[in-house]
Amino acid sequence: MKLAAAVLALLMMLVTALIPAFAHHSFSAEYDANKPVNIKGVVAKLAWVNPHAYIYVDTKDASGKVSRYAFETSSPNALLRRGWKRDSLKEGDEVTVDGYLAKDPRPLNDGSLHGNARLVTLANGKAVFAGTSADDGGPGK
Amino acid sequence: MIWRSVSSLAAAATVVGMLSLAPIRSAGQSNEKSNAKGKNLGGPGGVIAVNGVRDENLPPPPNGPAPRFYDGKPDLAGVWLSGNYSFSNMGGPLPLQPWAQKVLEERRATQGRDDPEAKCLPAGVPRITPYPFKIIQAPKVIAMLFEGNVHSYRQFFLDREHDKNLDPSWMGESIASWQGDTLVVDTVNFNDKTWLNGAGAPHSDKLHVTERYSRPDLGHLDVEITMEDPGAFTKPHTFKRSHVLSATWEIHEYVCNEFNVDVDRLVGR
Repeated sequence: MKLAAAVLALLMMLVTALIPAFAHHSFSAEYDANKPVNIKGVVAKLAWVNPHAYIYVDTKDASGKVSRYAFETSSPNALLRRGWKRDSLKEGDEVTVDGYLAKDPRPLNDGSLHGNARLVTLANGKAVFAGTSADDGGPGK
Repeated sequence: MIWRSVSSLAAAATVVGMLSLAPIRSAGQSNEKSNAKGKNLGGPGGVIAVNGVRDENLPPPPNGPAPRFYDGKPDLAGVWLSGNYSFSNMGGPLPLQPWAQKVLEERRATQGRDDPEAKCLPAGVPRITPYPFKIIQAPKVIAMLFEGNVHSYRQFFLDREHDKNLDPSWMGESIASWQGDTLVVDTVNFNDKTWLNGAGAPHSDKLHVTERYSRPDLGHLDVEITMEDPGAFTKPHTFKRSHVLSATWEIHEYVCNEFNVDVDRLVGR
């Protein structure tokens, strides 16, 4: 396990070290590759907006306190071409989002904690890449 | 149905994507090279080319000869997607003057925080986005319509000379002519507000871009680009790009300012 984690960390470092690239803004200008998150919860909404669609996920901690995360994804057009639709995620769907927190710790105006989604996994185990593109400079897929 | 790509494929994508990022980033300009390294991961709707360049379900370009416009010239019309999109690669280091090199290094150090493109301003020329663009052709003007990063456009005028009295502009003024089967586009009259690439290479308002467009076959649009800028470069710089015909795609609406919450959250380091 330790070795696998080390290898993964090394791969992450290699990828992060590459030239930043993004469609609309540089990944590293806004998000912190050193703050990965794995959030399991239920979809509050999928905001199908430009320049990036957002997945809002409500998650409970051990004490039962609910936090809402807003995860930036790719643009609706790019998601559409990847097989998503505006109703691909519905309110209440169970999801796990692997992503990264924003460098700016302020929540969005609606109070949601702010992150960037890379991989969205559904309750049935199916997963899709949610990032902007394979060349967006973000860590991993 | 939508979610046909399973987690194991995603995991494979992670590894393949990671391993292939570096060589492709430094690879040349050949689209064929990029496609050859793409892996069919059976994603929703078809092929996901996990090659570090493009991961949308880009259908393979159709085969066949380049079509001709009714006047006998090559017909460049279509929806095109960069086959070798890169945020920063312009075929090697740019011959920047010291002040321009310093600006580039500052922009790198702040991780692109101040990129005008992130503020939903036009990308400029010859910068491209990972989104498709459309070419519409007429005898006296050829237009490029960009899906992203904002709905900017370029017009290549075939029936006039440069206007000496225009104000500097984001996308410049483009005058075109046919040299055989190559469309030569001469663009000047830029402002100095855009970045030449995502890394942040600057330019001056003396930027002069010459693009040579050719369509070697139905599925490809090749461009040789020469940038001259006596205000920021020490010598001209030439590189090539290749675009792929996205025969089943259309450009879609992309209103960058709709929910650009990023703009005041780009902190850099």
